Amino acid sequence: MRMSVAPENRPIVIASLFVVVILLAGTAYTLSTAGSAPLLSPNYLLQQLQTGSFLGICAAGMMMVILLGQIDLSIPWTLTAAAMTATAVGGDLALPTALGVGIAVGLLNGFGVAYLRIPSMIFTLGVDTVLRGLMVAQTGGFAPQDTATPIMLFLAKDKLLGIPVAIFVWAGVSLLIALMLTRTGFGRSLYATGSREGAAYLSGIRTKWVIVGAFVISSVCASIAGVLLTGYSAKAYQGMGNAFLLPAIAAVVLGGTHILGGKGRYIGTLIGVVLIVLLNSVLSIMQMPEAGRQIIYGSVIIGMLLVYGRNQRVTS
Amino acid sequence: MTEAIVEYRGISKYFAGIRALESVDFACHPGSIHAILGENGAGKSTLIKIMSGVLQPDAGEMLLEGRPVTFPTPHAANDAGIVCMFQELSLVPDLSVADNISISRPPRRFGLIDRRAQVARAEELLAQVRCEDVDPNALVRELSLSRRQMVEIAKAIGRNPKVLILDEATSALTSRDVQTVYDLLADLKTKGVASLFISHRMHEVDALCDTLSVFRNGQHIETFAKGEKSEREIVRLMIGRDVEAHFPPKPAPKPVEERGEELLNIRGLKWGNRLNGIDLSLRRGEIVGLGGLDGQGQKELLLALFGVLRDVDGEFHIGGRKGLPSSPAAAKSGDTRIALVPEDRKTEGLMLGMPIADNLLAASFSKISRGFLIDPARARKAVDEEVERLRIKVGSVADPVMTLSGGNQQKVVIAKWLMTDPDIILLNDPTRGIDVGTKQEIYRLMRELANEGKALLFYSSDYAELIGCCDRVSVLYSGRVVSEQEGDAITEESLVAASLNIGVEAA
Repeated sequence: MRMSVAPENRPIVIASLFVVVILLAGTAYTLSTAGSAPLLSPNYLLQQLQTGSFLGICAAGMMMVILLGQIDLSIPWTLTAAAMTATAVGGDLALPTALGVGIAVGLLNGFGVAYLRIPSMIFTLGVDTVLRGLMVAQTGGFAPQDTATPIMLFLAKDKLLGIPVAIFVWAGVSLLIALMLTRTGFGRSLYATGSREGAAYLSGIRTKWVIVGAFVISSVCASIAGVLLTGYSAKAYQGMGNAFLLPAIAAVVLGGTHILGGKGRYIGTLIGVVLIVLLNSVLSIMQMPEAGRQIIYGSVIIGMLLVYGRNQRVTS
Repeated sequence: MTEAIVEYRGISKYFAGIRALESVDFACHPGSIHAILGENGAGKSTLIKIMSGVLQPDAGEMLLEGRPVTFPTPHAANDAGIVCMFQELSLVPDLSVADNISISRPPRRFGLIDRRAQVARAEELLAQVRCEDVDPNALVRELSLSRRQMVEIAKAIGRNPKVLILDEATSALTSRDVQTVYDLLADLKTKGVASLFISHRMHEVDALCDTLSVFRNGQHIETFAKGEKSEREIVRLMIGRDVEAHFPPKPAPKPVEERGEELLNIRGLKWGNRLNGIDLSLRRGEIVGLGGLDGQGQKELLLALFGVLRDVDGEFHIGGRKGLPSSPAAAKSGDTRIALVPEDRKTEGLMLGMPIADNLLAASFSKISRGFLIDPARARKAVDEEVERLRIKVGSVADPVMTLSGGNQQKVVIAKWLMTDPDIILLNDPTRGIDVGTKQEIYRLMRELANEGKALLFYSSDYAELIGCCDRVSVLYSGRVVSEQEGDAITEESLVAASLNIGVEAA
């Protein structure tokens, strides 16, 4: 049984080509200005993947929700809340605490969307704001412990066989998600529910559980990213998740996942993350001022979607 | 007779090559109340949609007071004095009654809507339909369904119609309001308005109309004055004589003690005001039909049995279980499994954009899995078996299901459910909009499934199918079983008569 069709792979091919174009353009630039090609060195690429793993894990979770035609805007403060609560607890319980926060937020989001039928765009935005308030309240009166535990430092900064451990974590999450999407009943139900919820429900799929499950995966992924990011920056701090929401959505959509749900392959999301990470890095090597970077970054996203749209309507 | 106010000359209309109306000549006259009769799909709706500018005819011409006209939009038809009240109420729930009544042409002052004049106008019209109790400033969503229908009527009258079309306009009214509408129509008749009245209630037609026209299969069969024909003759005109499809032979009826085990027994099933106490029993090896006109509760009954509806009252035994399943997921599992082939295959039966294989497997993930993981070999085998068994014509099962023809799409829906090995199969008009060849395959399949010991409950809007396929038929009328027919007693006449809730003796 082939689980993919050609039109679905087209965005993935285009995004891959664009990754190559970015690398070549960046290399041409560095060759002409400095006479070297740092972009193509394995060390540089591994370092990019290491910093990209935080975004990659967030995007993996976000993809589950987008496959349902929903969105999870609570990623930034779910990530932050998981990280801050985990460091405050500290010790061996730090990691379970982070995951616990993720599961709790995911259950809440899923309950709001699946059972209360509140549009996810509103509900998760509200949850995000509530989490921010809770975190501000937590740090308001006293200073909780915020330093990363040794295991966080290991996961984010150490290397195994010369490869950053964070990349192994990302790879592990990716394998689990890819396997789940293609080879489990839950994964196939996710596509069916995102494709047409009514038909999925009348096929006897427990669509509400599927929705809750997707939001839980999204929040758990955000909390894993929070753990890694804490290790990477050596501490948890307010606003640490702010930079991840829009790039995560962009990576999923650039990877060919249909924003209205039902279609998309996980490999596309991976490539989408790599594309965004490399684009940012090449623009910073070029010493492009911040304003210019934002403009180019945004234009690339819109431009890529237009290219996809020439072949298949993006919104239909 | 006076000159016709609206006249059709050779009007035809096709939908995707299927005729809805063919060379229809038809006329209605000022000062008459004219009933349009026909079965589901006879062309009544198309007829009035063309008159009111919703649809354009493919051939023929329409004359208004002797002059040829075309109505590109409903607005143009309104301007010409043709006002239509459709079955689906056309009120905006979040606007006030007064806003709704004047929605297309509100009274203006200095270019702005004159609210005071609008309310006064609403009050005047509501008084005409004896609904003084309705506050013109109330929101339509706060009104009951019968009040809304009266507001709809007030709105129609406010447009000063020359031709007033009422499509099932009395279906939700209380008997007091029905009387009001009768009086109103009688009053309009004296003022020279032509009313076209579409109703499935023969006694209303009898009480109200002076002229009757019968349609069948998109053709105008006959027009005659009230009293010229008996109800029995009218029913015969509506059915016609030609039977087109061929059905597999039915087994001879067996005495009760030799019949299969009873799988389903329901008593007094009630749901809201749509289902009003249904009794039904279903045995292994039989096909039971649900008859009646569209919208008499058949769809709701099937959904209730499949665990979709909430707050259903009554006494239910399904297999060994008491009570209805709590959800489709519960319905398809357990000892007595239920399957539903839903009404609309494009939105309820299929995920159109997804591959054929995924659609086939959508109800059976647990069957093809080992532990958590789907076994690709089992999945492929299950898909291949069903494609083979139902002879679904596919290029590759990885293609999106929307690339298939309607008949093959419906086969995919049926195959999806056969994969779960159901005991009870509920079918909601499974042959609608598919070609004759596939229809016959489906009839054969249904009989095979019954012979394998499954129980089938089959709703069809086509009487011929019910007669050809079913061992028994229960006819529904406003949420109740009004007639149960068995074996050779199932005839078109008896079904049509029961659908209109006319006593069989009277017909």
